[in-house]
Amino acid sequence: MLLVSVLVFALLHAAPGGPLSVYLENPGVRPEDIERLRRALGLDQPLATQYLRWLAAFVRGDWGFSLSDGRPVAERMLERAPATLELAATSLVMALLAAVPLGVRSAVRRGGWVDRIGSVAALTGVSLPVFWFGLLLQLSIAIGLGWLPSSGRSSAFEGGAADRIRHLILPGIVLAAVHAAAWSRYLRASMIGILSQRFILAGESRGVPHRRLMLRHALRNAAGPLVTVVLLDAALLVSGAVVTESVFAWPGLGGLFTEALARRDYPVLMAFLMVTSVAVIMLNLLADLAHRVLDPRTR
Amino acid sequence: MKVLRVVMLLAGFSVGSCTSDRGGASNDLLVVGYDREPDTMNRFSTHILEDIQTCVIEGLTVTDERMNVIPLLASEVPTLDNGGVRLRPDGGMDVTWRLRPGIRWHDGVPFTSADIRFTVEAINSPYYNPESTDGFDRIESVETPDSLTAIVKYREVYAPYALQFVRGALPRHVLAGRDIDGAQDYNRNPLGTGPYRVAEWKTGEYVLLERVPDYWRGDSLPAIRRILFRFIANTTTRINQLRGGEVHVTALVPWDKYREVKDIPGLSIHRMPGNSYEHVTLNERSVEAFRDVRVRRALTHAVDRELIVRSILDSLAPVIHGPIQSVSWAYTDSVARYDFDPARAKALLDEAGWRDGDGDGVRERNGKRLSFTLITQAGFAVRENVSQALQRMWRDVGVDVRIQLVDGTSISGLWFEGKFDAMLHWWHMPADPELTLFFASDRTPPSGRNINYVDDDSLTRLLYASDRTVDQNARRALLVAAQQRIADLAVEIPLYNVTRLDAVPSNLEGFTGNPTNAGIFWNVHAWRIKTP
Repeated sequence: MLLVSVLVFALLHAAPGGPLSVYLENPGVRPEDIERLRRALGLDQPLATQYLRWLAAFVRGDWGFSLSDGRPVAERMLERAPATLELAATSLVMALLAAVPLGVRSAVRRGGWVDRIGSVAALTGVSLPVFWFGLLLQLSIAIGLGWLPSSGRSSAFEGGAADRIRHLILPGIVLAAVHAAAWSRYLRASMIGILSQRFILAGESRGVPHRRLMLRHALRNAAGPLVTVVLLDAALLVSGAVVTESVFAWPGLGGLFTEALARRDYPVLMAFLMVTSVAVIMLNLLADLAHRVLDPRTR
Repeated sequence: MKVLRVVMLLAGFSVGSCTSDRGGASNDLLVVGYDREPDTMNRFSTHILEDIQTCVIEGLTVTDERMNVIPLLASEVPTLDNGGVRLRPDGGMDVTWRLRPGIRWHDGVPFTSADIRFTVEAINSPYYNPESTDGFDRIESVETPDSLTAIVKYREVYAPYALQFVRGALPRHVLAGRDIDGAQDYNRNPLGTGPYRVAEWKTGEYVLLERVPDYWRGDSLPAIRRILFRFIANTTTRINQLRGGEVHVTALVPWDKYREVKDIPGLSIHRMPGNSYEHVTLNERSVEAFRDVRVRRALTHAVDRELIVRSILDSLAPVIHGPIQSVSWAYTDSVARYDFDPARAKALLDEAGWRDGDGDGVRERNGKRLSFTLITQAGFAVRENVSQALQRMWRDVGVDVRIQLVDGTSISGLWFEGKFDAMLHWWHMPADPELTLFFASDRTPPSGRNINYVDDDSLTRLLYASDRTVDQNARRALLVAAQQRIADLAVEIPLYNVTRLDAVPSNLEGFTGNPTNAGIFWNVHAWRIKTP
């Protein structure tokens, strides 16, 4: 983590521009003001000093203050995290609900119409540019048909559970589509491998009901690789689906990251990237453990 | 029917909303699609357009739609003629602000001259970091002989004094003795005297303003009860919400979206000249060839600005010839013009010694090619197209130009350090027509924004003289002469005015727009939705 923090800090500061660039467009902000603000924000200090100060505070649990609005970074991230978790969980469930039946059915009836349609759908899903798909859904479902709100997390004057769910559907579908497409293919391939194994044949010959054989024996064994992929992808979902959040004006961590990047809000960017790194490491660890539980051969 | 609507929308046609739950704009609620969330509501600290803050906090003055400075919380704008401005023999200046009687902060406490004095002291204090201290740092003291009179004493003559308190004042009774940077109660929900107050700020989603019950202009104002600013950073999403009727107002519609929004039923696109101008900055420090006025004039003659405006901008923005725009009282059209004339451009380059000796289509002099890099902002479709048009036009007269696209944050850093050859960009000019910062020879970075690095004594003298002239007629004469000098020197290549396109409901009355940073909400108290 220390190495990650050094790398991230160095890369952020190597990018051209800086936190004061936003002030330069305003002719009322004079060079004297820029210098005053640079000192006030501690940006006049050597980079090594800035890094060590940040590190010393970070390990004490002090994530610093946003250069944009002066509020604590932790507060800014915590207020955005629920929206991101909500969207990530929804899209995760949606994607699994689509990917598992499709993957299993495609493997069991290889070459059948579900498999063929599934192949086309998966290829399309993986190839879809997220922003394009999102805008397409906005135009057709939200504006054309008026069935759902086009963006935002809630209506200003409603805010009930039903209203929140209506806002979740379109961004959830967009995020889920990409993952469902890939996951269904993983599961299909994994299932095909399992179905060719002797214990499946043995089960069939012993008269184990087909449905039970597929779901309890084949799927359980095939699920290992899928769980690994899902957990790794979940890290990306949790860290903020930047494009989806932008298209749907979703007030999550992805939007915060975009704003912070444009503003070169170093404390927010550092905290975000450190949290993301921890999430990736934890989910990788979880994936390993899950694989171990699901596949006895790895114990 | 709905299928047909979907097909039409996907094909790019504009159709009205088909849903009954998306009400149109009303005097109960107006929804604004806003491109970014404010960093703070404190008008002195924010670096983002002040539309939302303008509805809450009022200045002593404001600039109207013609950029005239008009009184707001002041009873009149101080001038030499009305005795509000007095030039002192020691070179200083006293400005007497008389406040409108009966004004109260939203919490009922009277707004007084003590608030003006507190504001000046706070901004000049080392313990507060406002966005700018411009002008305030020239104030030596503020006298408050009574609660409605503030005499602001400047160390030197300061021409833009009338806009000194355009951002209002800080409430002394709330902020005295406090760390203003950290006063999140005020910075998130400021106390003002304006027609609205912040009812709710849902981070990342919206700010809801609600009408104050006893606004000083009268109980019947403002007519619109609530204004909801929704934060929608993605331009296409914002336009889609306009189409769907989920938002009613969007300021600064991008030019390349004009065709998508102009026919939306129930919507008007208000078009007005802006106080900003698009141009090419020629960095004389970086490119030796730019130091020759003949080269600068040739580059200007080579650009067919009318064609650019017609073909790329849909004729939405007029061609301009200088840095002060037609909306300003200091504007003049009596300046040298460089019409599209490639033959003249070639002749000027020949005269300057730049000739194509090796026949490769690019001119050289003393073995050096006439070549430079034009930087501009990435992701700004219009600008990317204009830069390609410029590249082609300059190529036609033997100038080699490479285009480099740079993200918005990085480009500011580059120009501030003077690390570029030429740059396609705009300046948002101050409401007061000050040019010194941009063209005086001693205001090159880091001391100013003279990023052309023009070094002309007569121009610099004119500019500083204009800064020290309070009488508007005398000042205008100086600024006219300065504009003429800038055009004669062809310091930069002016392209077109940054025309404002604001989308508002067709039945919105009282809307005038505003070319300055005051923004379109400067007179929101007068807005009213006309009901059938």
